[in-house]
Amino acid sequence: MGMRTRMREWCGAAMLCLLVCAPAAMAAESGTMLKADELKAEPFRDAKTVKTLAKGDKVDILSKQGGWFKVKAGKSGGWVRMLSVRKGTAAKAGSGASGLLDMASGRSGTGKVVATTGIRGLNEEELRTAQFNEKEIALAESYAVNKADAKKFAAQGKLAARPFDYLPEPK
Amino acid sequence: MKPSIKALVLFWLLFAGNAHAFDFGKLEDKLKTELPVNPKLVEAVKEARGPDEAEEIAIGRQIAGNLLGASPLVKDAKLQKYVNRVGEWVASQSERPDLPWHFGVIQSDDVNAFAAPGGYIFVTRGLYRLLQNEADLAGVLGHEIGHVIRQHHLKILQQSKLVDLGGKALSKEVGGSDKVQHLIGSGAEIVSRSLDKNAEFEADRIGVVLATRAGYDSFGLPGVLQQIGHFAKDDGDVALLFKTHPHPDDRLEKLGTAMDDRFDRVKGKTLEKRLYRIKP
Repeated sequence: MGMRTRMREWCGAAMLCLLVCAPAAMAAESGTMLKADELKAEPFRDAKTVKTLAKGDKVDILSKQGGWFKVKAGKSGGWVRMLSVRKGTAAKAGSGASGLLDMASGRSGTGKVVATTGIRGLNEEELRTAQFNEKEIALAESYAVNKADAKKFAAQGKLAARPFDYLPEPK
Repeated sequence: MKPSIKALVLFWLLFAGNAHAFDFGKLEDKLKTELPVNPKLVEAVKEARGPDEAEEIAIGRQIAGNLLGASPLVKDAKLQKYVNRVGEWVASQSERPDLPWHFGVIQSDDVNAFAAPGGYIFVTRGLYRLLQNEADLAGVLGHEIGHVIRQHHLKILQQSKLVDLGGKALSKEVGGSDKVQHLIGSGAEIVSRSLDKNAEFEADRIGVVLATRAGYDSFGLPGVLQQIGHFAKDDGDVALLFKTHPHPDDRLEKLGTAMDDRFDRVKGKTLEKRLYRIKP
């Protein structure tokens, strides 16, 4: 019995480690600079510049805070604007997509991508030949919420509405 | 009474919450006494919402119903209610808060989202699974809301001379499904048509701003674009999305330029814990 309990404990610990350690181990996701930008000591525009990264430079993404990624770039570490980085390496590997994305989408290791190639997907033909489904649209409409409900829901999440101007089209 | 007219009536009935724009009680009385629907009712609807908007919604409903014919809703009422709450809150920050907005998650494992005129918005289960927090969802819905409020799809229909809003193409028969169907072409083809690149960039800018106005972290949509950019071009899950949208890298670059440092001091909520996790 003692043996079994210990075994169970060990398994539990291993499981816990998988759950806790896995995200940490995966946190270093690779990224590529979409454009040249400054590596900052802190996630602020006015922070000290560590160095300038060139377009195409590789970085390891460690974490995210607002619009900033904490990265490691060669021997330097610091913060870079999230929008200056694309995740993954420049050469896109066909089936090699891995890391956080796969975890998040539940695609990791399922083999689903290969198994279902050719039969999934909403293609144009399917959309073109689609038949009106009254039952489904009525069901969709039954889930509508009114503004008061939405407002209450926002308040529960401590979401406060605030003014913010639309962005001008960049020249 | 044509089923589609009945549906339209039902549809109006369902929107008691948005009914402050007209005297709902009066309309309800009319429905009771004047069924089957007659032109007077159609007129009442038009009077309340304006002819253009009533037609826009009728067109959108037809497109949405067709899309659901190709890919039905995920059968999870809590999920559907959740996306409607987030969506309604984000949409109420737009200049068309009174549209009868509808949001849904459809069963397709593609990574995509669709908007139809009049406020019908659907996200695929494939895209929903990529979301990491509620701010991501708000950003994605904000992008689609952007298409609706700027009438991007409706303008395509108008340009192709299929729809002539204000020009009476529909006004005699709002909700007449055969007629509406005739106007929108085949099935839900319209949602698979490419919009002008600039319409997509514009919707991205609107999505970020609406999510921000709603109190969310501004970087939800850019984060999702980053995730999608990670997919290989030959991955079937993103085939239609990549075909009909500029590449996520281009969208990110444009969005980054537009956002510049305007959001540096803007704090918002991500609400990671509140994101409704979809059942596997």
